[in-house]
This record gives sequence, C-alpha cells and structure tokens, in this order.
Amino acid sequence: MAERPAPLDRPEFERASVGKASTADVARPLSMAEQLANVDPVRKFTVLLGAIVVWELYTRLAKVPPLIFPTFQDTVVALWKGFTQYDLASQIWASMGILMAGYAIGIVIGAALSFIAVSSRFGSDVLGTLTSMLNPLPAVALLPLAMIWFGLGAKSLVFVLLHSIVWPVALNTHTGFMSVPEPLRMVGRNYGLRNIRYVAKLLVPAAFPSILAGLKLGWAFAWRTLIASELIFGAAAEGGGLGWFIFASRNEMDIPGAFAGLLTVILIGFLVENVIFRNVEQRTVVRWGMQS
Amino acid sequence: MSAALERSRLEPVPRPEIERAPLDASRIGQIERPLSAAERLWNVQIVRNLSVLVMFVAAWEAYTRIAGVPALLFPTFTDTCVAIVEAFDDHRMLSKISFTLSSLLTGYAVGLLAAAVLVSLASIWRVWADILTTATAMFNPLPSIALLPLAMLWFGLGTFSLVFILIHAVLWAVALNTYVGFQGVSQTQRMVGWNYGLRGVIFAVKILIPAALATVLSGMKIGWAFAWRTLIGAELIFGATARGGGLGWHIFEHSELLNTSQVFAGLFIIIVIGVLVEYAIFRTLELRTVRRWGMQR
Repeated sequence: MAERPAPLDRPEFERASVGKASTADVARPLSMAEQLANVDPVRKFTVLLGAIVVWELYTRLAKVPPLIFPTFQDTVVALWKGFTQYDLASQIWASMGILMAGYAIGIVIGAALSFIAVSSRFGSDVLGTLTSMLNPLPAVALLPLAMIWFGLGAKSLVFVLLHSIVWPVALNTHTGFMSVPEPLRMVGRNYGLRNIRYVAKLLVPAAFPSILAGLKLGWAFAWRTLIASELIFGAAAEGGGLGWFIFASRNEMDIPGAFAGLLTVILIGFLVENVIFRNVEQRTVVRWGMQS
Repeated sequence: MSAALERSRLEPVPRPEIERAPLDASRIGQIERPLSAAERLWNVQIVRNLSVLVMFVAAWEAYTRIAGVPALLFPTFTDTCVAIVEAFDDHRMLSKISFTLSSLLTGYAVGLLAAAVLVSLASIWRVWADILTTATAMFNPLPSIALLPLAMLWFGLGTFSLVFILIHAVLWAVALNTYVGFQGVSQTQRMVGWNYGLRGVIFAVKILIPAALATVLSGMKIGWAFAWRTLIGAELIFGATARGGGLGWHIFEHSELLNTSQVFAGLFIIIVIGVLVEYAIFRTLELRTVRRWGMQR
C-alpha cells in the first residue's frame, strides 16, 4: 500500500455578496394565447377547424369538380338533406338495430364459450382450435354463404356479425381468464366460490382489461363487417342501412351525399369508441387501477 | 420481562416418551403410478388440438351425409377437398392468391411506412401530435371499406383503389398503437438513451421501439387483421361491380354460380393464409422479441 499524501492546508476565505442575479424574467406568467394553446381540447379543435378550412379552400380555389371532391359546405348541406329528405335517420336506425342485436347475441355466445373453456381442459382445447381457425377468417367472406343459407334479410347480416364478434371476444376473455394470477384464484377458492359465482365474482373482474379489449376489438370488427356487408347487399340487392346509403349516393353520382354518409359513419364510430368505451374504461379498469 | 408475565407461565408438564413403529406401507396402495400411453398422449397439446379438428371434420362429414344436406347448401368435407384440388387445377387459384397477397403486402408496407413517418413527426413536434391524435380519433373508427366507392371513383377500378383503402386500414391502427406505446415509455429509459447521447432516429430505433415493441406489435397485428378483412370485403364488392381477381372474388363468383363447394374451398384457403400469417409470422415475431425479452407472457 502506497503512502497517502498528507492533506494540503488551504487558507480560510470569505466571499463578499455576489449581488443580485442579472438574469431577468426567471418566472414569467404565460400569456393568454400560450395558456390557451396548452389546453388539449383547444388544440384539437384548432386542428379540426384547420383541416376543414384547408378542405374548403382547396376545393374552392382549385375548382375541384364536386363529382370528385365536394366542398365542406356541400357535404354539410347533403347531410342536412339526408336527414330531412332521404330518411338517413331510419337508415342509421336500421344499421344500429342489426349491429346491437348481433353484438348482444355475440357477447352471450362468447361468454358461454369461454365459460365452457375455463371449466375443462378439453373445452379449452375446443375453443382454442376453433378460435385460432375462425378468428383470422374475415366475416364478410361468409356473407355469400350466409346469403345462400338465410336469404337476403337481416338474418344473414346478424349471422355474419356474430361471426365477427364471437371469436375476438371469446379469445380475449379466455386469455384473460388464463392469466389471472394463482393467488387471486386461491382467494376465490378460499371464499368457497364455485362455478358461475367463481367466474362472475373473481375471474371476470380480474380479467376485465382483457375482456374489455376483446369487446372493443369485437365492436371494431363488427362495425367494419356491417358497413362492408351493407355495401355488398347494396350491390347485390336493394338493402338498407348506412353502407347502402353511401353506395346508393355514389351510384347516383351524388358525391356530397356519399361524403355525408361517411361523415355519419365517422361520427357514430367516434361516439362509440371515444365516448361509450372510454366511459366504461374510466368507470372500471382505470378506476380499479388496472390500467392508466 | 415483567414479574407478572413470569408468574403467569405454567410449569411444563412432563409427557411420557413415545416411539412409533413405521406404518405398513402396503395398506396405502399405489402412491405413484406411471401414466398410461394414452394418458401421456392426451397430455400433448398438439394431439388434443388435432383430435378436436378430426372430430369436427367427422361431425361435418357425418352430418352432411346422414342428414342428406343438399350439396348446394352445405357440401361434404370430401367434396370440399376435391374442390380445393380442382381450384388449383382449373380455376388458377395460385394466381388469385398471388393477386390478393401482392395488393395486401403493398398496402401493408406503405401503410406501415406512412405510420412511421406520422409517428416520428408526432414525437418531435406537438402540432403533429395533435394532428395525429385528432386524425386517428376520426379515421380509426371509419371502416376503410366505406371509402371503397369513393376510391373507385377517384382511382378507377384497378389495384390502386385496393391499395388506397388498405393503407387507410393499416395506417391509423398502427399509428395509434405506436404513438400510445411511445408515450408510455418510462422517463428512466428515455434518460438512459439521452445519457448515451442518442438523438433523433437513433433514439427511436434504439430506445423507443424496443421499449414499446409490445404495443407496436399489437398495433401491427390489428392493422393486419383490418387489412385482411378489408381486402376480402373489397374483393367481394369488386366482384359485384367489376371483374376483379383475387380470393374474395373467387368466393363471390362461385356463390353466384351456386358452386358451394368452391366457395368452401375459397374459405378454406383464406383460413389457411390467415392462420399462417397470425401463427407462423406474428407468433414467431412475438416469441423472438417481446416474449423472449420478458415483456409479455
């Protein structure tokens, strides 16, 4: 071990006051505009307004023919006309009624399948094989078959919707159930929970983030399938609904009408995804601290 | 130790010593029994899955044969198998598959690229972040197939309209998930990156993407699922309004001709492609990345 050098003696010293810092404006209150720009909804609305202004200006200044790309104003007028003259409200009602029916039945079937799967290993195998085969099959592809089996009515639409909802819901619910940690399961068994009560009181709340993800995915697939099948129905027969409205408007070269239909589709999708599902999330998984 | 506690203790009671003789083990019977060959076979996952599959096929064949379902409504399994072979021989199935897959791949690749550009812009400037979130909130719930009638008007009946709606199907789902994933990368990991002097693209590639890969991958999977569904739907509509090629058209064409066994053959091939992409490609990707890194079970 080398010898340590002795510590140096430094002279004591005292500093005079450094004086006030010359940097101005250490903390400055934000201006009104800056404060506004920090509010999220304000910025988003500005973006939306900007997009609309650009759309209107582009179509007006570049004189895009309305048959190719109508102005925003035309679209709004067409939307108004759709509601007042072309019965758009009842078309929406027709679409949503079928969607709701399919969604409700689909959830029941999905829940039943996952209950069977969670109660025995063989059931789990059956569900696993079925979902891995049928989940990647686009539901619309079954539409021609459904039309042969059930005719051109609402029945074949519901059948196709069922197919698009059941598999994602069942798959996500089952994976959710499988990944419930063992301690939680043991707590449930300790309380003497069995069968339905075990599933309802323990597995469902514990796997809720995954179940909700399945429900959202099922909705997304169902919504897409519904619009697609209505477009095909529109092509193959005189159907009804939003997709048909878009298709019919386009066929009559009423392009503002088609844009109005698209706008309605966007609005409904936005409402369901960002209002309904967001609310359910806030009240369940976010509140329970399972998801931020 | 207080005196009260000391007093409250009882004197230990002396108990007699005991000695137990070992129990007769033969009374208990079989403690450990080797599983029979059948039981061991039944414990293999693949065997169980295959037997489920065989059961379904048997039930299908038995139902269609015994109930005498007309082949126009529900062909037998053997008919479907024959139809699959026929499809490759007589109906140029290979060229249909390659038509479908090539437009799918083009749309998917361009969509991924566009999403990457948008997300990069959004992580640099706040204005772009606002544009991205507003656009995804609006366009993600819009089924891209609803744009098909307009795309056909703008771009004609060719592959370009297909690719356009495929891009729309992929772009928003991927951009949304990637952006949310990037937002969720913890500050600690970001600071590690800054500490190493990583900036810009290198920062994204080396820190953000690996840290958010689980979300990015799930976005890519959802994007694929939407694109696949959109493509088949679009081909069905093309089949109704024009003479397009592809798998969806194969199904539509043969359902119009009431050639149901060919419809089943088309569905079967669609299932096979879907299963291959989901399990061979995405599952492998997951196993090699997020599962191996312990980010997802």
